[in-house]
Amino acid sequence: MPTTLTDTPSGAESLILDLHGKYLEEARPSEPFKGLNLASVRRFETLKFPHPKHDLFSFVNAKELAWTRFQLQRDSRIGKDIVRDHVYPGCEKSVLVVADGTFRPDLSDLSALPSQVKVSSLREAVADPAIARYLAETIESENDVFAAINGAFFNDGLYLEVEPAALVETPALILYISSGSASHPTMTVPRVLAKVGRHSEVKIVVKYAGAGGNYFVNSTQDFILEENSKVLYTHIQADPFESWSFAKDRVHLNRYSRFHGVNVYSGCKLARRHHEVHLEDSGAELKLDGVSVLTGREQAHNLVRIHHEAPQCASAQHFKNIVNESSRSSFDGSVIVNKGAQLTNSDQLINNLMLSDDAHADSKPNLMIYADDVKCTHGSTVGQLDEEQLFYLNSRGLSQGMAKSLLTRSFAESILGEIQVPAVASGLRGILSKKLEANHA
Amino acid sequence: MKTNTVPKPSVSEVLENKDDYKYGFTTDIESDVFLKGLDENVIRAISQKKNEPPFMLEFRLKAYRKWLTMKEPAWPNVKYPPIDYQNISYYAAPKARKKLESLDEVDPEILKTFEKLGIPLEEQKRLSNVAVDAVFDSVSVATTHKKKLMEHGIIFCPISEAVQEYPELVEEYLGTVVPVGDNFFAALNSAVFTDGSFVYIPPDTVSPMELSTYFRINTEETGQFERTLIICAENSYVSYLEGCTAPRFDTNQLHAAVVELVTLDNAEIKYSTVQNWYAGDKETGKGGIYNFVTKRGKCLGKDSKISWTQVETGSAITWKYPSCILMGDNSSGEFYSVALTNGHMQADTGTKMIHIGRNTRSSIISKGISADYSSNSYRGLVKVNKSAANARNYTQCDSMLVGEKCSAHTFPYIESANSTAQLEHEASTSKISEEQLFYLESRGISRENAITAVINGFCKEVFKQLPMEFAVEAQKLLALKLEDSVG
Repeated sequence: MPTTLTDTPSGAESLILDLHGKYLEEARPSEPFKGLNLASVRRFETLKFPHPKHDLFSFVNAKELAWTRFQLQRDSRIGKDIVRDHVYPGCEKSVLVVADGTFRPDLSDLSALPSQVKVSSLREAVADPAIARYLAETIESENDVFAAINGAFFNDGLYLEVEPAALVETPALILYISSGSASHPTMTVPRVLAKVGRHSEVKIVVKYAGAGGNYFVNSTQDFILEENSKVLYTHIQADPFESWSFAKDRVHLNRYSRFHGVNVYSGCKLARRHHEVHLEDSGAELKLDGVSVLTGREQAHNLVRIHHEAPQCASAQHFKNIVNESSRSSFDGSVIVNKGAQLTNSDQLINNLMLSDDAHADSKPNLMIYADDVKCTHGSTVGQLDEEQLFYLNSRGLSQGMAKSLLTRSFAESILGEIQVPAVASGLRGILSKKLEANHA
Repeated sequence: MKTNTVPKPSVSEVLENKDDYKYGFTTDIESDVFLKGLDENVIRAISQKKNEPPFMLEFRLKAYRKWLTMKEPAWPNVKYPPIDYQNISYYAAPKARKKLESLDEVDPEILKTFEKLGIPLEEQKRLSNVAVDAVFDSVSVATTHKKKLMEHGIIFCPISEAVQEYPELVEEYLGTVVPVGDNFFAALNSAVFTDGSFVYIPPDTVSPMELSTYFRINTEETGQFERTLIICAENSYVSYLEGCTAPRFDTNQLHAAVVELVTLDNAEIKYSTVQNWYAGDKETGKGGIYNFVTKRGKCLGKDSKISWTQVETGSAITWKYPSCILMGDNSSGEFYSVALTNGHMQADTGTKMIHIGRNTRSSIISKGISADYSSNSYRGLVKVNKSAANARNYTQCDSMLVGEKCSAHTFPYIESANSTAQLEHEASTSKISEEQLFYLESRGISRENAITAVINGFCKEVFKQLPMEFAVEAQKLLALKLEDSVG
């Protein structure tokens, strides 16, 4: 136990600091990573693990996670067969594998991606001073303690750049696969930086999955959209239950650029996504949707911070949660309209479907507005399946279980229907209906 | 937030002081204004001055000790310089005269002030059907219509009197809705409150008139710590009106009131407030009232109802969340609010609806208007416990922005732990509609009147909940407040 010395790291933070000391000794990160790691660790020490009433963790209890003694994943057990299980049809030749936090060209297949899409490891990419500077700036201003932990341990990652005026039809699939370990909990820190050039359009699908359990995947993803570019983004969290899955997605939107993200969660012991979006120049548009289907003791938490920094931008969010048994979901979203961001248009809607008395659905949709000529709305509902709709279906001969499953699926469908890659959408429909049928049987 | 808290006395010190008090009283209780500062001596002095039974002193001391361990809340979306709690005098009374038999005995100066505020007691007695319990700076000076109420068995009196006359009622209910350690300001109030109103409606009684209290801050740098307790027994109904005005002062004035409501089976309390305290200098924001109020109602009985209506147009800082704890089955809570901020005002206000009983219902309608440099936040919690089957909530909170330097925020918290709950929340923020203004102006209505009309329309849902005379007053108040903000 630490003594009364005030500068001794106390509490759960010391576990991370110990691990960081070990990491510096063993991995010997090269510059600029070493400098970034050290800056991040300082950030981590300032931010500290969240107390129960922390702003960014209103509904997330991270105590158990903070007190878990993690080790860094050393031996990756990821092979081609596991990758094959998770690839969606149509993405076989455009798959980028990040195994246990490291980009693995040997497992990836980029043959279907056009030459305008450049893929490299972050280690090569930081040779570009602009990228190194961007990383340093984001680390200095990091506000999420878990993203700071990612910054403290990363010494590689994936860099994706789309050249200007490229229309990329084939969706790029980024697969995060964690090995896990039966003997001790492990942590991986994947980092992806994607830059989309002017007038380009690209579809990115991201999937988190695990070969085993007992791991903590703690990723950060940065998307920089240049003028008039467009990203269609699908994010699938499909980790096994015995895992912690955290991610921070940061999006920078330039003039007239558009980002449309659909997030699908199947939950795990603790899944949390932090979406930070900056609408930096006029005409930028954001659409952020999400659906989570949770059973058992699964949890999925969303934290959204949308910064309207320029006039004439639009943002829309629609999140739906289906909670059953003892599962928990939460949505904590703020739309911040800065001074001068006139003519902002912003909508936010959260629908929760509660199927059990032991489940929890919490929402906190916030608006913070510092400009007067704006239109901002938010709405949130909590409810259950409509008795009349159930009766209608029953009277048509559907069993109670089938009727419930059908209505629940249709509740999720409005979000799944937004997914722009058909193979992914139908794959998800299959998984979700299996999960729901098991419940309603 | 940095606060100046009093160092906690050690146990031995407390015991020593206790002995002192038995034999020699040090604070001059004859004085009308206590010296500035707060410690256990001051609390004992207040209690002695008011000739309170021992349970009240215990209550105050418990709250004070709790307060010493607490921190001023930092989470509200408001900014103000640290308050020096030792620089406040905790007791001030107008020249005390024994017992007042009739209005003639009231200091004519005080009566004059009431007249300025538009409460001609004499006239009201005769013409209106409203009983007025006027609280002038912590001590009640006159109570009217008492007899008529007594005929119905209704108790409406200053709480200091209730402590003397009905100690068993006060002891049973005081602090049951807002516990002494509920929050920093409630703890402070519980320790030092000097007066306020007490209402008891016996079973099967509908109050024959609307009860009304006017508060007014007068002595400079005197914190006002009112305490209101309203108990509505089985099958009864009461409507209670509260209105505030305050004169101009240059030093910030702290106001930390506590209001507790309790409804038993099938009872209903309707509580309405129009608050228009001095908001500080319009240009600099200096000198306004700090309004840190804890208002909470408990629907203890089955089928009971509590309804809060508030029109907040004053105070430099408002920190206020009239709440309902819906414990009884089929009970319901309502919250209607108009909060207008202008100048440099800051408001962080909203409500809490805690659903505990079965089939409980709540609805929240909140309208925020911010103008000039002000900041207006709605903060509301809707919580459905696991036991609250079939809970239902509807929330609507709209904000309107007038001018480009103000801000409007919404912080709703929605927590559901029951699958049969149906909760809806919707909010919108927008500018005052140019099209509506243009339409009215094209009909020959001046811009100022057009704005008033649009804003009154925006607030209509809340105004129609107010008792008649308040509704008129509230509309006038909004128009008056916005006079210089638009144009």
